[in-house]
Amino acid sequence: MSRSHATRFLVILVILTAAALLLPFAANRGLVFLAGVIAINVVLGLAFNLLFSTAGLLSFGQATFSASGAYAAALLLLRAPEVPFLAVLVIAAATGAAIAFAIGFVALRRTEGVYFAVLTLAFAELVHVIIAKTSFFGRNDGLTGIQRPRIGPLDLAQGNAYYVFVILVTALLIAVLWWVTHSRLGRSFRAVRLDPMRAAFLGIDVRRRQLEAFAISGACAATAGALMGPLTSIVSPDLAHWGESTKPILFTLLGGAGHFWGPLVGAIVFSAVEYGTRSLAGASDLITGGLLLAVVLAIPGGLLGLATLGVRRLQARPAAPSEAALPLAPAASKGETL
Amino acid sequence: MSKLNRRAFLASGAGAALALSANPRIVVGQTNEPIRLGVVTPLSGPQEFIGSFVKNGAEVAVDLINKAGGVRGRPLALEFRDEKANPAAATTVARELLGMGINLQLGTIASTVALAYGPLMQAENGINLTCGAGSEKINHENYSPHVFRIGDGTYRMRAQARMMAEKFPDVTSWTGIIPDHEYGRTVWAIYVDGLLEFYPKITGKQPQIVDPIIVPYGSGDYRNFITQAARTEARGIVNATYGGDAATFFQQARPFGLFNNRILMDVANEFIVANALKTQVPKHWTGTHWYYGASASPIGESFYKAYVAKTGNKMPMGWAGEAQAAVAAYAAAIAKTGSTETKAIIEALKGLSYDTVTGARTIRAEDNQAIKDLEMIQIEPDASAADVGFKVSDYVKIPGAGVIEPATPGQAMVLRKSS
Amino acid sequence: MLADLPTLLFNTLIWGMATFLVAAGLTMIFGILHVLNFSHGGFFMIGAYVAHSLANWSSAMANIWGFLLASVITAAVIGAVGLVVDRAIFRRLAHVDGAYVLVATYALLLVCNGVVKLIWGLNVVSASPPPELFDVSFLGNLVLPHYSIFVIVAGLAVFLALEWLINMTSVGRLIQAIAIDPWMARLLGINVGLIYSATVIIGFALAGLAGGLLVANQSLSPDLAGIFIIQAFGVVIVGGMGSIRGAFLASLLLGLADSFGTALLPQMPGLFFFVALAAILLIRPRGLIASGRLS
Repeated sequence: MSRSHATRFLVILVILTAAALLLPFAANRGLVFLAGVIAINVVLGLAFNLLFSTAGLLSFGQATFSASGAYAAALLLLRAPEVPFLAVLVIAAATGAAIAFAIGFVALRRTEGVYFAVLTLAFAELVHVIIAKTSFFGRNDGLTGIQRPRIGPLDLAQGNAYYVFVILVTALLIAVLWWVTHSRLGRSFRAVRLDPMRAAFLGIDVRRRQLEAFAISGACAATAGALMGPLTSIVSPDLAHWGESTKPILFTLLGGAGHFWGPLVGAIVFSAVEYGTRSLAGASDLITGGLLLAVVLAIPGGLLGLATLGVRRLQARPAAPSEAALPLAPAASKGETL
Repeated sequence: MSKLNRRAFLASGAGAALALSANPRIVVGQTNEPIRLGVVTPLSGPQEFIGSFVKNGAEVAVDLINKAGGVRGRPLALEFRDEKANPAAATTVARELLGMGINLQLGTIASTVALAYGPLMQAENGINLTCGAGSEKINHENYSPHVFRIGDGTYRMRAQARMMAEKFPDVTSWTGIIPDHEYGRTVWAIYVDGLLEFYPKITGKQPQIVDPIIVPYGSGDYRNFITQAARTEARGIVNATYGGDAATFFQQARPFGLFNNRILMDVANEFIVANALKTQVPKHWTGTHWYYGASASPIGESFYKAYVAKTGNKMPMGWAGEAQAAVAAYAAAIAKTGSTETKAIIEALKGLSYDTVTGARTIRAEDNQAIKDLEMIQIEPDASAADVGFKVSDYVKIPGAGVIEPATPGQAMVLRKSS
Repeated sequence: MLADLPTLLFNTLIWGMATFLVAAGLTMIFGILHVLNFSHGGFFMIGAYVAHSLANWSSAMANIWGFLLASVITAAVIGAVGLVVDRAIFRRLAHVDGAYVLVATYALLLVCNGVVKLIWGLNVVSASPPPELFDVSFLGNLVLPHYSIFVIVAGLAVFLALEWLINMTSVGRLIQAIAIDPWMARLLGINVGLIYSATVIIGFALAGLAGGLLVANQSLSPDLAGIFIIQAFGVVIVGGMGSIRGAFLASLLLGLADSFGTALLPQMPGLFFFVALAAILLIRPRGLIASGRLS
């Protein structure tokens, strides 16, 4: 990883974090709350994209990981309030990693594109059904009355304290995901994605790398999910529904899978659209669906892909070679082997 | 500063202007600004159907109040938001409304959302009146002073059991068609509780409770469960499946004659199943939040007329009435205290008796649960009923006071169980 | 309260054939285009609504022939929509990652839901079977609703027709050739694009046909798409994606698991479907018939 790369990433992360932390001074309480939800969603999107664009695995069961983190944290907060919250987050991460490992262990027997996606979807739906039917998990009503915790002397229930905490933890998770993506490990993930056979020839244990990517993604998603319960005071089986698994995919493709920040842009834009239709009766399905369709069809490189293209066009006149139109190239080139 | 002192202070000209500019929603009656109420209800997704009645009902109720001069001279205005049947989305918009100064909210349908609102409203100093969330936890384990159920509580099932004991004293064996969902289990448990109390009391006979048939949620095929039900020795069946599931179940049950020689008590479908099946609908009873044809109160009649005029729907369903009851509760509370402040409104709502589409109702102070008349209708097929295909052939009203469970805020409900 | 065996088997057959009718088009499109079409359930739902509207529109549809005609018209209508979807979406996304197509079809499902709400509203509606199929026969303990028998026969007929189309006709052989190796097929001068389009149209038409034939099987509401899609996905995966025969077998197998699971463990209805799904995938991750091509 080049130093200038890292510096640029840190500058962007600091600016974004600062902006998020300043938001309560400028925005309505609803928007501040929404910003907390979006921050969590950004991590879910980035964790998905670590699998998708870096490791070349299309996971359709990400909700399992975020929900497992949410439920692990909620159970600990409700049943074992003496466990410090930072430890709760670590346990949630471990739970997510373990479940991701277990599902990955089975599902990675079929790594080709849609097969793998469908296997993860099937397991995710099984987990959803189990949560909704088990009284230990509160069944359909979920686990309610989750308080915002204390961290040592800090009471996160006060004012915007929990929001600030969410922003800081998600910023940390984003940094972790960036580091993984650009570390040696991330490079070996990419090698596996581009050519598993050659990677194996070079001595990389392909299946092990893929499992590692899966576990890291699961741990990050679970930690982000763990933040959800105290935010809304409830965790419910909806968190594990397959509709929730589609969201990180949407964020990623909307923002641009070929860019690290793509899922962030996608999560913000998607939430903005949802927020925009919040007082609209009857048409939100059509609008959300139509918009998504339009983005996928018109700008398959995602919003950041479009922006990069625009910038390159401006920089390099006469017209840039058509290669520039493919920030999507890494994804596209995966083709059959994905 | 006591309420009275503050009002006196505010009445003194300059002081009032100052205070109002600092916090415009303290005192009602000093301005013609509308009083804004937030309506957070499903405007999309699977529960949009219910939300549409809440939305129209709230609008009609507000129109009627405003035409009659508003509340203390101020009109009411509504701000709608989509609940999306999802606690995170619903919490976002509830907070947004709170941030806009709209602390008085209503319309919640999903139980998970209503349960999430307790801590939220407490922390953020708002109020929510739920218009149909079914969980018993709302006024028991998860009771919050900031959440009120102004409509039917879970005790409606006890009323339905009581009505059966009164109407059909010989039907003493009961089973249920119960969706595999928290809601279904709650409904069944409370119905059994009612059967076990009222059959011995009213008929002198001990009812026989047959294990219910648990059916999956959102299925396209209920035949395995129908053949299972067809074998039951129970003479009475209570159905808790809902909406499209119920319509599918009844439709597929027709060839099996499942309901031919049995009494069918439907929990809450009102006209949903009858509208779908028309002349094929089996004769059955169903609970309603509000039956427009009962003319239970003058408000009910004028509300019905205005509702039909606005929507063209001549058979509105009960949630419209629950929305009216919520709007009217706020109107009555604001009129009573002269304030829209959360604390004052909570005080005013607790123990409030006021008039609604179903007649008088009282909000029980201990657990914020409304005590109201429970309405049941009998529906039977009627080929002569132009394009509707069914008619309402009977109507029963059970006063809530005789069937409501004891208030135990903070504690689980205690129910009778069959041995 | 274990139901008797013949009843369980009969119920399995209805469940299986209804699910197969919905899944057939899904697995067909997957077999050729390798596209997992989320919107399939949406178009099945629109098909059911279209058939319902046709039946209300003309009393000529009020007998079994009218009922079949309405189903065929519905198939044609949804097939035409398939042509549009192929041109507007599948072709344009033919050369990007499969994930984009998946998301596009998911978006299309949302659009389907929106369209149904817009045109047909939020009410639950239901359709009656034609009068010829309204009655019931009894065979000992066994209750045989005629419409249920019709659904079983229709499922079998569609299965046999597809088997014939794929294995006995020249179009079918072309389709098979492309499923196995599109590159080679192109080299041999086969118009691959045309066959792709034809497959999409047939797949969509099958969704429409299923909507029409099953219109009286369950109630119609904007939730209908969701109700069938998970079930159909399960059948397609277990059957071996792209395999018509596999989907047929899987429909019966998962139907059997569902029926017997419900009878054995009535407290957990619907769970057995997922348990069976997971178990079969553990043993055979590629599904029952894992040819990787249309069969």
